[in-house]
Amino acid sequence: MAHDPALLGIFSYLDDLLAVLKKLKEAEFKVLTVFSPIHFSEIQELMGHKPSIVRYLTLAGGILGGTSLVGLAIYAHLSFELITSGKPILPPIPFVVIFFEGTILLAVIFAVASWVLKGRLPRVHLPRAYDRRFSEDRFGILVAYTNGQRDIIQKLLEETGAEEVRDVAG
Amino acid sequence: MEELSYSQVNKEILRTLSPAPRVYYLVVGLLFFGILGGAAVWGYQILTGLGVTGLKHPTMWMLYLVNFVFWIGIAHSGTLISAILYLFRARWRTAIARSSEAMTVFAVMIATAFVLIHLGRPWIFYWIIPYPNQRTLWPDFQSPLIFDFLAVSTYFTVSVLFWYTGLVPDLAAVRDRSQGFRRKIYGFFSLGWTGTDRQWHHYGAAYLLLAGLATPLVISVHSVVSWDFALAIIPGYHSTIFAPYFVAGAIHSGLAMVLTLLIPLRRIFGFEKIISLKDLESVAKTTILTGLIVGYSYIIEYFIAWYSGNIFEKQTFLFRAIGHYGPQFWLMVFCNSVAPLFFFFKKVRTSLASLFTIAILINIGMWTERFVIIIGSMAQDFIPYQWGFYYLRWVEFSLTAASFCLFMFLFLLFAKFLPSISIAEVKEDLTPIHRGRGRRDYHGA
Repeated sequence: MAHDPALLGIFSYLDDLLAVLKKLKEAEFKVLTVFSPIHFSEIQELMGHKPSIVRYLTLAGGILGGTSLVGLAIYAHLSFELITSGKPILPPIPFVVIFFEGTILLAVIFAVASWVLKGRLPRVHLPRAYDRRFSEDRFGILVAYTNGQRDIIQKLLEETGAEEVRDVAG
Repeated sequence: MEELSYSQVNKEILRTLSPAPRVYYLVVGLLFFGILGGAAVWGYQILTGLGVTGLKHPTMWMLYLVNFVFWIGIAHSGTLISAILYLFRARWRTAIARSSEAMTVFAVMIATAFVLIHLGRPWIFYWIIPYPNQRTLWPDFQSPLIFDFLAVSTYFTVSVLFWYTGLVPDLAAVRDRSQGFRRKIYGFFSLGWTGTDRQWHHYGAAYLLLAGLATPLVISVHSVVSWDFALAIIPGYHSTIFAPYFVAGAIHSGLAMVLTLLIPLRRIFGFEKIISLKDLESVAKTTILTGLIVGYSYIIEYFIAWYSGNIFEKQTFLFRAIGHYGPQFWLMVFCNSVAPLFFFFKKVRTSLASLFTIAILINIGMWTERFVIIIGSMAQDFIPYQWGFYYLRWVEFSLTAASFCLFMFLFLLFAKFLPSISIAEVKEDLTPIHRGRGRRDYHGA
């Protein structure tokens, strides 16, 4: 992730992280990312994320899966045209099951593919700002700075309870 | 769940990944030999033909199909616990969800293997895949067998993806504590996860959607499996209650298998702080409900047979209780419907020994149920001229035993190489306590 020079603040307490995040956002500093060992909706809200596009991609996958599998079934039945049990060549009721399975299958594949790709994964190398403690019990906040902002941000991070502040090259 | 700090959660759960005692390798080795034995027996069956089994007219769906339905049933509670209980925000699922999901994946694999074993010529298994082809094979999308192929393959794919999605943040946690080659392997499978706000944002949305999509799927899969039978006209199969009856039975057996696996796992790896007795008690309480539904289904099947006025239905259900397979029927009733009722007593459901014993009884009962339905109904259908009983031969007995070896083998490998409890979800449950400096020292200092 290439970016402006940035400061990384490492926190032990979620409340401290949320407090500094709020202040940084109010002061209109550029918060690049927040690292967390678990999912917190407050972080997403403060970072201003819109509802995830994963929902729409999953819906698209479901529609595509259901229609394509039923399409395959229609093609197969028209290719053979064999009547079974006096039912029509294209029986709507059994095709409901086919549609259902196709919908779920492709919706799930699309949901997984979309969270991976929208999360900018997979990646071979971990970002320089990443600290191993983020998968255990620490929170991190990466803030980009321009000339003259560095000291202000560092002070803000330290005052709010960062146990460590360090520079991360862009 | 006891109050732990985040780092204690990592330490407790990842302890299973450290070198195991010798007994672990001994058990894994023995199970591996069991699997090799099963592979050899399957080879013998392929070379000699299906005649070496007890397969003969009229019981053309014999023990392999019993095993197929049994293992598909076992696969059910994994997704039930992961998906349905996740949507209901049942917190007791957290400690047991990951193991149940693993159980699901392994059970579906084994169930699928029995379909292949049941084939006389397994090397042309792809003929069952429904697509227009040059071999003039007719892919009939009205057939419940094709529904079954689609449902089981979809269920397997969804179960693997759901399991893997839940694992990614935990694999990153393992990666961050590993060195050398192990770090590369875990790093590869964790996809480079770093827990950024962006990743959690899309991950959270996807996980919820996966749970929402898996919920109707889990209900549908065993319904579809039940239609393999219900769409046939054989007395004892041809019933409209089969779908809910099979789904309830599947959840019943799956919950029992969860107890069967987790009680030893908890003891061996010292997970008492994370998998509490209360969690196991919650599984036992759910088993009472599923046991009652299964018991009700047994009764209502008799009512339908009587009320229908159909002589063949009445005959089948009479034979079921007092006929050739009568002992299996009564064993099934006791294990599935009577034994779980002991969980009404708090003393029984809070004792590990009785929890484990009743879980084993339910496993036996559910396997027997599949036997009674599949083989019992085929053995005596319409006219006495074509009746015939199935007798177990050593070939299918060996392959059934090997399937249990394979299941345990895979589960032990899973417990050794992957976090068997979701680290991220356990931490999420701790959040209110461990959140701020003012409320409690976050690091337990």
